[in-house]
Amino acid sequence: MNYRKITSALGIGILSLAVISPLLWAGEPGKLLMETIDKGFAILKDPSLKGEEKTLERRQMLWKEISPIFNFDEMSKRALGQHWKSRTPEEKKEFVELFTNIMKDAYIGKTDTYSGEKVVIVSEKQDKNYATVQTKIITNKGTEVSVDYNMLNNPGKWIIYDVIIEGVSLVNNYRSQFNNILIKSSYKELIQKIKAKQS
Amino acid sequence: MRSSVLLMFVFVFTICVCKASVRAESSPASEGQPAETPQEEKTPVINKANEEGELKHTVSAQQPDNTRKEDTTPANTTQEDEELQHDDVESEPPLVKDPLQPYNRAIFTFNDKAYHYFIKPIYTGYNSMVPEKARVSVRNFFTNIKMPVRFFNCLFQGKLKGAGTELERFVINSTVGVAGFFDPAKSKFHLEKQERDFGQTLAKHKMNSGIYIVWPFIGPSNVRDTAGLVGDAALNPLTWISYFFLTPLESFGNYSYDTVNDISIDKGQTYESITEPAIDPYIAFQDAYTQNRMKKIKESPDYDKTLDLSN
Repeated sequence: MNYRKITSALGIGILSLAVISPLLWAGEPGKLLMETIDKGFAILKDPSLKGEEKTLERRQMLWKEISPIFNFDEMSKRALGQHWKSRTPEEKKEFVELFTNIMKDAYIGKTDTYSGEKVVIVSEKQDKNYATVQTKIITNKGTEVSVDYNMLNNPGKWIIYDVIIEGVSLVNNYRSQFNNILIKSSYKELIQKIKAKQS
Repeated sequence: MRSSVLLMFVFVFTICVCKASVRAESSPASEGQPAETPQEEKTPVINKANEEGELKHTVSAQQPDNTRKEDTTPANTTQEDEELQHDDVESEPPLVKDPLQPYNRAIFTFNDKAYHYFIKPIYTGYNSMVPEKARVSVRNFFTNIKMPVRFFNCLFQGKLKGAGTELERFVINSTVGVAGFFDPAKSKFHLEKQERDFGQTLAKHKMNSGIYIVWPFIGPSNVRDTAGLVGDAALNPLTWISYFFLTPLESFGNYSYDTVNDISIDKGQTYESITEPAIDPYIAFQDAYTQNRMKKIKESPDYDKTLDLSN
């Protein structure tokens, strides 16, 4: 009796493991992320694209390779938070455009100082349509920076909707800024401020 | 028999916790989950919340008129909020108490100017004279001397293993690492530095973060971390060396050298990468500081999450 119980329990356990494990270890978001990062590194390491005079060309190529993995619509929506709902479709479109530019200006420029940093995956958690991929950037001085990517499954394709560097969520950081401006002034003024920053 | 009763009990308990947490999550004012929720019960909670979020997602996908749909849904919050909450249960930055904002902004501007016109030229010149390897060694040296700060805070936070690691690191680096100029403990023995400070210790012992303060030169802080700075200074051997053996000018020089050397390795990248792309650099830095501190505090075990949210 007891024996049968144990064997059946074992059987169920193994069966469920066999069913669950591919889901757990598929590692699709992480794989996609690493592929994209590797593509980016390939461009940064490309000797024909090195040097200051090639900066613009290099940045453009990087943007072309890396931007598809980001969902700027989702990022903009989250960055605006509660204020997103009351925007008209045109305003939303304009905002997404502006926010995409903020991200582009801010973070593509950072790659100019690339000097042999490496990226490794620390862990990967997937929870249905949401996933968090924890990575570590290791500089050539041995300093480590933790960078987490929050991703979601946009029917069939995993995309990044937030990047968390040393515990600082990019989207939340902008949400705090936008919220603080919107408490005191109108949405129009916020747009003006962003535009002024970009010109 | 006894085990099945126990199992039943665990099962019922889990369901209760699930229900309570889902309810708590769906009301907007409850980012702070009950602190007594045990760790292992959290996974099903998130799962359940997700399921709900997803269900709603599919429902509203069929019905393009979002707002109408949400109005007629009596339960929980709107779909968008649900999505926003998905990961924000943990990463949502708490509202920062900042009654001193006008003063803080003034100091922030001052610090920013000091950084660009004073500190940056200094470390740029320093960088051109001293090779990077030497600068890293200097940092290692200071890090090694400040070992008691990390050691005691590990103890205060109940991290005995961390304290042991720090002790080992100190012994290895002071001897094999030539008085701390090198870090063989990390490179050869894989003993990681334990970043523990007194601010974390205070947070662990249930002190609230208090209001946000920006100090001249030191930068962003809050009441708790200011007290933390004082505590760390008391644990720092450099403070005692300065007090007994150095003139105020010498100890100021000592302190500045340590700071400039630190910044020179980072090349001010951390500071600039936060403030430069920001629309409002003051808020961006305040938020980055708060989020980063939250992460560091959470890393210490059994930290009461509700602390930063309830104040």
